[in-house]
Amino acid sequence: MVIKDGVDYASLDGEKVNLLFLIAAPNSEDNVHLDVLARLSEMLMDEAFKNKLIAAKSKKEFLKIIDEAEAGKLEENEESVQFPRVLAVTGCPTGIAHTYMAEQALKDKAKEMGISIKVETNGSGGIKNALTDEEIERCEGIVVAADVQVEMDRFAGKRVVQVAVAKGIHEPEALINQALDPNTPVFKAGEERKTSGGGGKQSIGRQIYKHLMSGVSHMLPFVIGGGILIAIAFLIDTIAGNAGSSAFGSVNPVAGWFKTVGGYAFNFMVWVLAGFIAYSITRQSKGALAVGMVGGFIATQSNFNILASIMGADYPYEANAGFLGGIVAGFAAGYIVLGLNRLFSFLPKSLDSLKATLVVPVLGTLSIGLTMYLVNTPLIYVNIGFTNMLNWLANNNLTILLCALLGGMMAVDMGGPVNKAAYVFAVGSLASASATNPSGYIIMAAVMAGGMVPPLGIAISANLFPQKYNKSERRDAYVNYVMGASFITEGAIPFAASDPWRVILSSALGSAAAGLFTGLFGCQLLAPHGGVFVLATIQPSGWTILLYLLAIVIGSFITALMLGILKKNHANPELGKWKGINFPWTKK
Amino acid sequence: MKSFVYVIKDKEGIHARPAGVVVAEAKKYASAVSIENKGKKADLKRIFGVMSLCVKSGEEVKITCEGADEEAASAALETVFKENL
Repeated sequence: MVIKDGVDYASLDGEKVNLLFLIAAPNSEDNVHLDVLARLSEMLMDEAFKNKLIAAKSKKEFLKIIDEAEAGKLEENEESVQFPRVLAVTGCPTGIAHTYMAEQALKDKAKEMGISIKVETNGSGGIKNALTDEEIERCEGIVVAADVQVEMDRFAGKRVVQVAVAKGIHEPEALINQALDPNTPVFKAGEERKTSGGGGKQSIGRQIYKHLMSGVSHMLPFVIGGGILIAIAFLIDTIAGNAGSSAFGSVNPVAGWFKTVGGYAFNFMVWVLAGFIAYSITRQSKGALAVGMVGGFIATQSNFNILASIMGADYPYEANAGFLGGIVAGFAAGYIVLGLNRLFSFLPKSLDSLKATLVVPVLGTLSIGLTMYLVNTPLIYVNIGFTNMLNWLANNNLTILLCALLGGMMAVDMGGPVNKAAYVFAVGSLASASATNPSGYIIMAAVMAGGMVPPLGIAISANLFPQKYNKSERRDAYVNYVMGASFITEGAIPFAASDPWRVILSSALGSAAAGLFTGLFGCQLLAPHGGVFVLATIQPSGWTILLYLLAIVIGSFITALMLGILKKNHANPELGKWKGINFPWTKK
Repeated sequence: MKSFVYVIKDKEGIHARPAGVVVAEAKKYASAVSIENKGKKADLKRIFGVMSLCVKSGEEVKITCEGADEEAASAALETVFKENL
């Protein structure tokens, strides 16, 4: 009913009432009249609609206005369901928490702003809710909030806002507004990554970090799977009473089976690390993945280098380039493939597919083979130098100093040439040691202590200083208790790779301390591997076991404290009740 | 910012009359007051906004007050909700 001049109806604002509605609805449980009321209210919020109703000349016209408005409303709803106005892509290196937090933040904010959105997540479970070409075509703007490389070329010609995943979590409103802003630059295919809103181009350091993390996140499952299987092998052999054997971990056939499978998984670590660094650099080129993995494989080969070719069967060294070599291989492979693509850009469009199918696989593999053939060589000399130095120290009765040095070396590259030099030296001295000349046993004990400290120290630091890590890093860190206890130094690699100098410096100092105390206490170890599972073999029997444990604990706490002091606080640690120990002088 | 959660007891849900009562109460305060239900949010000072949420009996609403007199607004609104809904 329309009252043109209005009537006093005790309204909220004291104004006269022009429109009166009577709602007739069945008196049912589910409050149908509320649905009617809700839709009517929604339409009445539109001032123009309201005025049209008041101005309606006839009953017929009045109903027509309502029908039209209702139809328009429904159409608008359907339209927005099919084609969201804003698209977003989220992704983070571990792909567990941040990816989905950013997704949620963007969705919530968009809903609040009344803007339709679709969010694609590039998490650890792969790409979910993938954007279709048609959606990209029809959307008004795109937000990419990711710390990993996402497929960008499909967004060519659209307004794209590229930021770190953390911004997606903290500033969803600004990002959505920016994506809708006509002044936001349009993305061009093949363009270098730029961060808008974050201030200019991404720094080289951040780009390198992102590629590295892409490799590390893909490597993690192999480290954890293999590491735990190897630990189980040691456990089985301990129960079977084989602690102390030189083949500890594979004496019992079941233990041996576990150790073999774990070892197989470990093989992939460096290959996958290198492969996915290259994959990230080239924005997901399949060819680069292959070239990088080949490079990573070569980094784990001990006899593929110039020296080995010259010496042939006489080549004596077993060291390989390890994970540091793998990082070199990954970056080399990535840039080789980028270079090849540029070099062959003269090819006509019709032959463009040749680049991916032939040029990159063949010439890329050849180039990485040559590169690694050269890079492997100097690493051998690093190894030789260390071995010679160790022999000199041993020959001059500097065992305690030697223990500290060897312990530290175990932590420097965690499986690379320096670590291998120390380990091989210890195993070698084990063979020449005897009850009357036990320095070889002491050296072995120091090396194992040194190798156990980095993962243990990282795990302890995640407990003492949770603010230095994000949620998923902390969870990975706790696995390091098992890794460290099993003398699997590799557990520390993902942490060392993501923050090299702080983690390596902290680990090396803690490991050196553990080695030093082992030497001072004169603990002797007869088995070459096994962590806590071979503690029973520590000689001389009695208190020495406790002293050895003490040495490891001291080293681990030194590493943990160093990490607590050196590492920066994580931007988004998602802490629980325990906020961690804060030193007043540490950087926020 | 001060907020509370209330489950609608009124069999009819938030229909026009009680909506008018809570909006009238909300308008007495300088604080910004919002009501949230099923992921949708509306200004509690605008009756059409409140009614468009379509809040039915047994559903949960979250009222958030933000401003200088948020304490008083929140307390008063909670009483009004309890009395009318």
